[in-house]
Amino acid sequence: MRGARSAKWVAGAIVIALAATACGGSDDNSGNSGGSGAGKNGGTFRMGITEPVAIDPYNAQESEGILVTDNLFTGLYEPTADGQVVPALATSKKASSDGKTWTFTIKKGTKFTNGEPVDAQAFIRGWNRVAQKSAASDVAYHMAGIEGFDEIQAGKSKAMSGLSAPDPYTLQVKLSSPDFEFYIKTTHTVFSPVPKAAGDAHNKAYNEAPIGNGPFKMQGKWEHNKSITLVRNDSYGLKKAHLDKVQIDILNANNGVTLEYQGFESGQYDWARMPTPQLPAAKAKYEPQGEWIQEDTNGMNYLLPITDNGPMKNPKARLAVSYAIDRDAIIKGVFQGMMTKSTTILPPVFKDVYQKDLCTSCVKQDKAKAKQLAREGGLKPGTTIELGYNTGSGHEEWIQAVKQQLEDVLGVKVKSTGKPFAELLADQQKPGATGLYRFAWGADYPTPDNYLFPLLDTASINKDSSGKVTGDNRGRYSSKQFDALVAKARSTADQAGRNALYKQAEKKALDDMALIPLWNRTQLRLVNTKKFADIRMDFHENPNLAEISMK
Amino acid sequence: MGRYVVRRLGQLVVVVLGATLILFACLFVLPGDPVGQIAGSDKARDPAVIEQLHKQYGLDKPLVVQYGTYVGKLVTGDLGTDYTQSRPVAEILEPKLVNTAKLAVFAIAIDIVIGVSVGVVAAMRRYSIWDVSATFVTTLAIGVPSIVLGMLMQRLFVVELGWFPLIADGSFKSMVLPAVTLAIIDAALVAQLARSTMLEVLRADYVKTAVAKGLSRRTILFRHILRNSVIPVVTYLGISFGTLLGGAIITETIFNWNGIGLALIQAIQQNNNPIIVGVVTISVAIFVLLNLVVDLLYAALDPRIRLS
Repeated sequence: MRGARSAKWVAGAIVIALAATACGGSDDNSGNSGGSGAGKNGGTFRMGITEPVAIDPYNAQESEGILVTDNLFTGLYEPTADGQVVPALATSKKASSDGKTWTFTIKKGTKFTNGEPVDAQAFIRGWNRVAQKSAASDVAYHMAGIEGFDEIQAGKSKAMSGLSAPDPYTLQVKLSSPDFEFYIKTTHTVFSPVPKAAGDAHNKAYNEAPIGNGPFKMQGKWEHNKSITLVRNDSYGLKKAHLDKVQIDILNANNGVTLEYQGFESGQYDWARMPTPQLPAAKAKYEPQGEWIQEDTNGMNYLLPITDNGPMKNPKARLAVSYAIDRDAIIKGVFQGMMTKSTTILPPVFKDVYQKDLCTSCVKQDKAKAKQLAREGGLKPGTTIELGYNTGSGHEEWIQAVKQQLEDVLGVKVKSTGKPFAELLADQQKPGATGLYRFAWGADYPTPDNYLFPLLDTASINKDSSGKVTGDNRGRYSSKQFDALVAKARSTADQAGRNALYKQAEKKALDDMALIPLWNRTQLRLVNTKKFADIRMDFHENPNLAEISMK
Repeated sequence: MGRYVVRRLGQLVVVVLGATLILFACLFVLPGDPVGQIAGSDKARDPAVIEQLHKQYGLDKPLVVQYGTYVGKLVTGDLGTDYTQSRPVAEILEPKLVNTAKLAVFAIAIDIVIGVSVGVVAAMRRYSIWDVSATFVTTLAIGVPSIVLGMLMQRLFVVELGWFPLIADGSFKSMVLPAVTLAIIDAALVAQLARSTMLEVLRADYVKTAVAKGLSRRTILFRHILRNSVIPVVTYLGISFGTLLGGAIITETIFNWNGIGLALIQAIQQNNNPIIVGVVTISVAIFVLLNLVVDLLYAALDPRIRLS
């Protein structure tokens, strides 16, 4: 993915750009259909968000935009909170043996809220609408694997040649290269179907009040910087929502978290983030009342070692660094205990592949081992290690702590340099970069591949002629064995087999300490469980609006 | 007087042009591509997307051409198109301007009513307990930053007591806290200014004459003292109306008041240059116009002042 590099996570501030995935809000697990199942209908759910970039699937991207779009539209598949993918409108999927042709059958008889049918053409229409050059969509790249994408992006065609509808409720997708996980990508809102009424991507009327096929529909239009109101779609084709209405205030980014928290405290919001300094007090007050949610979500924080050059070239030196860091002390001292230590490359939310404590050096600080490994790895006392981080995002404190621990334990000299994000990125990409960098990542779709391939595969280094790294593997980790495991996983059709290979690849990368895990992306929310039942945080860190019911 | 107004309006054009030119130069010469990043994030855009957006917003043209186009459109009231929503700047800013104006008018009213009456009472009862406490309270009010005051009031009156709504819905009730926050420093300054000018006027010969003539206290206060001591206050209020925008950035952020102060700070953070230039152009124009009104008011208040 992109986005997760935005460093705003730790401070608990606004997460912009967790361009994750999703469609639809129905949950097949709970099994009741029709809005009158187990939960009681009714109620208005109130919350605050910051102004989204877009709520139209053509450009919805960050958590806030996805919140709205996801509830207005339902696509083929959707992600669950624990990193699974479940069908939404797709009734079956089939990949050809070469992994290049996908055939989806679509549930018959569902409609957009304006009465138009949701058929294969609706999907083709929606996807082509995004991929048009003129759409200038920030999320069109998710479709890059579809045949004809390059032509439509270049403005040479109006439709992707890879999309076809053999019959009204069958969608066939031809890919330009094999991808056994293509259906997982369709969980992103960019793959939503749209009605004819949508027009092109720059149809203002539609951008402001999209007509969708999701569990909710717009009431009125998007009041920029003010509010968005959703009401239940009573003609929804899947399991209907229980809430009558969702009132979303749009708060300003500078004060949004504080306003959310105060709104919750004064009973005006049912879901809220909290300012970091208030966390301990809020936890003490709301956790006993069952109004506190703490989840490790789809995101990880690492130190990125530059593995092809400088003091971090030797895997033992990297291991020494990992052993020298006292993660528990930092979490307690800097994050007030509100983070959880990470001992893997893949996030715990990917339950199928999560291998807790896979990174043995992450589990507990071990000074003796760190010193010994440093000696073996040529990391002599007095060596200077660069430690780069981006400023203005609350990283200063823990960077200082890491610096101090490394200096105390290893006797090295750590040169920590804070720079604006864009400059930090340029530093990491520069030929001849060395040392360590602060790094964070979140996946676009719930698949281990979206961590392992972009971050660690040799193909993702992608140096240009000047030696600048243009891919996302800025640690320049390159291992034939790792690459082979990932390649094998990618060409494995069945998911269990794929996951087994991804787990092996993750182990290999951690044996080489290709990334140094620090802490998980821990998200905290206050939720009104006095009034509402079944509230959870979804894959995008939003409330599961389509499932919440009145108590 | 008619010629005077026309000449001042001519100056307005020059000032607005100058201000936009300086701003344009600053904003567009600064490093960083306004559409190179996604609004408010560190995420880099796809090069193809950047190219398309450059064309759409005319950013591929030289700066001089961009400025020329901007000024050309400005004459017709078109402030351009913003980068994040692709909507006309004028359309985006209009409701926000109305919101900020509401707040500003309310704040000025507070300044006048509270500021002047406190000042008058303090001056009339010099060195009394009223005067001393007024001095103390106003000094404190000037010293406490409005961000602190705003957040304290929000905490107390919204969260703890629940007297006011958290999120402004445009109702009178939701305006009270932001307006008070915005007004408080100016009200205190007005009170101190009113007090000191009144004390000066109180010593003036014409007041003694009026007293000697046996005029009623009321007539002396309103016709002779207030009218003469109000001129510096009017000057101050005229200027402060313009500077309210600065306070509005903080106040509107705290109370999520959807005005141009909030629009400005968000636009700055998002590199949304058309909005920045738009807000500044509008506020420069308002400031110059208000100064004109203040000058005209002088003449009305004090016939000795000649406009030429």
